[in-house]
Order: sequence, then C-alpha cells, then structure tokens
Amino acid sequence: MSAHAATAPGAIPAAHPSAPAAAGTALLVGLVGLGLTALALIIPGVTASAVATSYLVGITFWTAMAIGMLLMVLIHHILDASWSVVIRRQWEHGLASFKWLAVLFVPLILASWFQRDLIWPWMNPAHELHGGHTVGHDPLYLKKEGFLNFNTFVIGTAAFFLLWMWLSARLRRASFQQDSDGDVRWTFMNRKTAAFGIPIVALTLTAAVIYWVKSLEYHWFSTMYGVWFFSNCVRGALSIGVIIMVWLYRRGDYKGVLNTNHFHSIGQLMLAFTVFWAYVTFSQYFLIWNANMPEETFWYNLREVNHDGSPNQWKWVGIYGILFGHFFIPFFALLSYRYKVTHHTIRRIAYWILAIILLDMCYNILPALKDAEGDSLPFLSFNLLWVLTSVVGIGGICVWSYLRSLPTAKLIPIRDPRITESLTDHE
Amino acid sequence: MAAQPYGLIATFTTTPALYHAAEQVRDAGYRYWDCITPFPVHGLDKAMGLRRSIVPRISLAGGITGFITGMTMIWWTAAWDYPLVVGGKPHFSPMYAFPVSYELTILFTAFATIIGMFVVNGLPMHYHPVLKYEHIRRGMDDTFFVVIEARDPRFNLANTKALLEKAGGVSITELES
Repeated sequence: MSAHAATAPGAIPAAHPSAPAAAGTALLVGLVGLGLTALALIIPGVTASAVATSYLVGITFWTAMAIGMLLMVLIHHILDASWSVVIRRQWEHGLASFKWLAVLFVPLILASWFQRDLIWPWMNPAHELHGGHTVGHDPLYLKKEGFLNFNTFVIGTAAFFLLWMWLSARLRRASFQQDSDGDVRWTFMNRKTAAFGIPIVALTLTAAVIYWVKSLEYHWFSTMYGVWFFSNCVRGALSIGVIIMVWLYRRGDYKGVLNTNHFHSIGQLMLAFTVFWAYVTFSQYFLIWNANMPEETFWYNLREVNHDGSPNQWKWVGIYGILFGHFFIPFFALLSYRYKVTHHTIRRIAYWILAIILLDMCYNILPALKDAEGDSLPFLSFNLLWVLTSVVGIGGICVWSYLRSLPTAKLIPIRDPRITESLTDHE
Repeated sequence: MAAQPYGLIATFTTTPALYHAAEQVRDAGYRYWDCITPFPVHGLDKAMGLRRSIVPRISLAGGITGFITGMTMIWWTAAWDYPLVVGGKPHFSPMYAFPVSYELTILFTAFATIIGMFVVNGLPMHYHPVLKYEHIRRGMDDTFFVVIEARDPRFNLANTKALLEKAGGVSITELES
C-alpha cells in the first residue's frame, strides 16, 4: 500500500538513463581480449585449431546470452506478461549485440574456408579419421552430407543471425517507438512478432547449436541438444537480467521502480529453468546410459575416460562442475525466498550460473580437441586461456553494444499498457 | 454468563484505516489477532508483522523424504531383496533410480505442501466464533475488521478496547466464545 505510493505513474522516471562511462572501457576490454586471442595464434606450439575452438566457446556463450534475451522478450509479449515490463527494456538493449556477434563469427568462417577441418572435421572430406579412413568415405558422414557441408553451414549461420537481427530490430523499434507516441498498436505488433518469432528462434537456435557445437562430433545422436542449449540461453538471459537490475538499482535508476516482487519473480524463473536444464541434461545422459549404444556413448566416453580406460579430467568437470555446480548449488540456493530477494545474493547466484554456463560450453566444445591417441585434451590446459580471452573479448563487445544502446531509450517502457501493473507488481 | 469473551472485534471502513490500525496492534505486541478483509490487501502481512509462511520448509522436507524414499526403494527391490541383472546394468545405480526418485520428490512435495498448508491454517475449520457477529458478512463486501483474541497474553478488555478506539475502530464489540 503506502510502500508503493512512490511508484505512482506520476513518479515514473521518464528520463533516458545517462550513458555510463564504462562503455568505452568495455569496448577497450573487448578489443584487448580479441587482440590477445589473435596473438595466441603466433605463439609457437599453440595450434590454430585450439585457438579457434576456444574462440567458438566464447562466441557460442555470448550468442546464447543474446538468444536468451531475445526469447525472454518474445515470451514476455506472447504471454502478455505484466511484471516483467520494467525489466524487458534492458533485454531489448541487450539485443543490440546480435550484429556484432554476427561480425565476430566471420573469423571462424574465414578460417574454416582456408583450412576446412580447422574446427569442424566434416568440412574437409579428406580429413583423416582416427582409424585410417577419411570423412569422405565415412558412411555416417555421407548420410548427413546434405546437411553438413561448408555451404549450408555458411548459409545457415548467416540466415540464423539475419533472422535474430530482424526479430530484434522489430521488437526494439516497436518498443522504443511506443515511448514517444504511446500507441497500443506497437504492443499488438510485438505480440504478433512473438507469435511467429518463438518458433523461428526455437528452430534456428536448435539448428545453430547443431551446426556449431554438436557437429564437432558428427557421429553423435541426441534429440535433446537443442533443448539443452535453449535452457542455457534462458538461464543466461535471466542471470544477466538480475545483474543489470542490481546494477541499475544501485546506480539509482531503478530506485522506486523495482520492488521485492520483481526480484522474487525473476528468481523463481531462474529456479524453474535450473530444474528444466537439469531435466533435459539428465535425460540426455540417462537415455544414452540406458541404451548403451556405442554411437551415442562415445560422446560421454570422450568426457570420462581415455582410450586405456583411465579417467580424464572432464569426468570431474562433469560431476562437480555440471552436476553439482550447474544444478544442485543454484537449485538449493534458489529455493530460498531470502536469497532470491536479497540483491547481493541473487546477483552472486546469477554470476555463478553464468560462469557455469561457460563451463558447460567448454564441456560440450573443448573435448573435440584430441591428441594423437584420439583422447580429448585435458580440461586444465592453456586452451582455457584462449577461452578466457575470447569470452572477455566478445563479452566486452556485447557489453559495449548494450551500454551504447542504453541511453538511446527511456529506462522503462513508460507508455506500455501494462507499465502501471508492472510498477505495482505484487506476489 | 460472565464468561471470558472470545475477543474484541472492531470495524474499519477503508483500507488505509485498517492498514494503520494493524500497524498499531502489531506495535502493541499482540500475537493472537487477525484482520478480516473482503479482498487481499497488499502489504497487510507486513503491517501485521506476519513472517513468511513455514509451508515451504514443510515442502522441502517432503521433497527430501520423497527423493530418499525413491532411491531406497529402488535399491531395496533391485539390489537387496531380489537382485536381478537387467540390461547388463549394475544392480543399483542412481541413474535409473533417478526418474522414480524425481517423481516421488514431486509427489511428496505436493502432499507435504497441501497437508502443511491445511495444518498451518488450522483447516478444516467448520466453526469460528467470529461467525456469530451479526455484521461479519460485510467483511465479504465492503467492511474491514480487526479481531483481537482474549487468549492473547496482552489482552485486557479495557486496554484493548482503548487501543482499537485509538486506532480508529468503530462498533467495538465483544465476541461470544
């Protein structure tokens, strides 16, 4: 009651948020990170394929974040949600990163053009497989040739990014335009965008992760893979949402806008998607464990044992990082109401989840790098450095694009039909 | 019969009046009292000084019980009571016990939540002394009430009445127990 008097529509902060000085820093950090990643290529003993694969971890991680934010905005509109109106604008700013991510993906395509099997072995029919024969003579490849070839990869990747950019541009334009004219048709337009956008994003994110990540082991089968990626995307976007909420609250922008229930609601979604992620990831493992078919189990074997049967480091990453770190720790932390509504605690959980999503990407991508015996290279290796420089580099660019977009629109969609409901959100 | 009454009931006509009265009763240190409103009044739980429900803890206890039940049951049937090799798998593995444990976690959590909610709310409750009050039906329409029970250690007919009057309550009436 009286606690919400301060959030009456008259007191809505109508100003544009000030441009943070950090934008320039983020760009600098991004460029330095990218530069260091490029420098790794000239270090003797470091293979281009290791650097490129590490870079793939970075670009997949940040693209996942952007896809997650796109999904959150789409889901918000399709459900005509009210509580998330004040947070939606920050995700809309986050969508500005798609065009830069598309640009940052180009080096991988160029590198694969010059050396076809640099990252994805199936791009080169002459690539020698462990055991003597080549990709071009591999029946498992020949069956998938129409899907897995360089041209479809390039066209597909370009199409995914164009579709994501197109949807983002529509959502952003309608939402920003509504700030000035207050026309409700922008809300209806976004609802329509959401209606066809959700299936588009669902299909493209699945195809993208199959091309970029799953095809690293093109022999493998798993129908869960797209859903696994989807759950990571959404968990990442929710975590980034929390970090931005706390940041803007502490800076003063969100004072009088956010209340306890916004944090509770987003925390509940984080909990729900933690369980969803676990459900999907466990199902994938369990079905493969139960069927025990060599063409499926080899993917997990690479992440558990060396060819002589001794356990490798990925086994411990899987158990402690993925099982405990990605599920049990955030699950039990997010069960607590207090943790969800205490700013610094929920932010800590959000940082944790982001870090573990990155680890999950490493777990899915890096074991594709193998030694002469066909064993996955260990987790603790110099490759982690290139993962780090790539993530910081690409992340710097993404953060810069968000901060650059931030002052171009009002802090919250002040003329959204549901803005008052959102400002006075209750349990 | 000069028996101790059930408590005192005071009438309020607006939500802000009720809200501020609740704050005063809370600050006076009463424990056994309640507000009756025709609709949920946001923030009233805070004004009444109510803590969050303990039902989530009961749910968690139910969930943990369910998970352990599932794991134990599978282990007992498959690895202890009648060991049988199925599909070349070990007699017991948390892998295949997991779906069952997961389902039982949800089932037991749901039971614990429903039962916990009933117990904490004192349900089922077929009769309440407040129902004898002639104007109580207005509490489902347009009027708000504060009821302070006589079993409260701070309850004192004269003082409590004065408190409710000071808080702005009208038609302060003794409720028969």
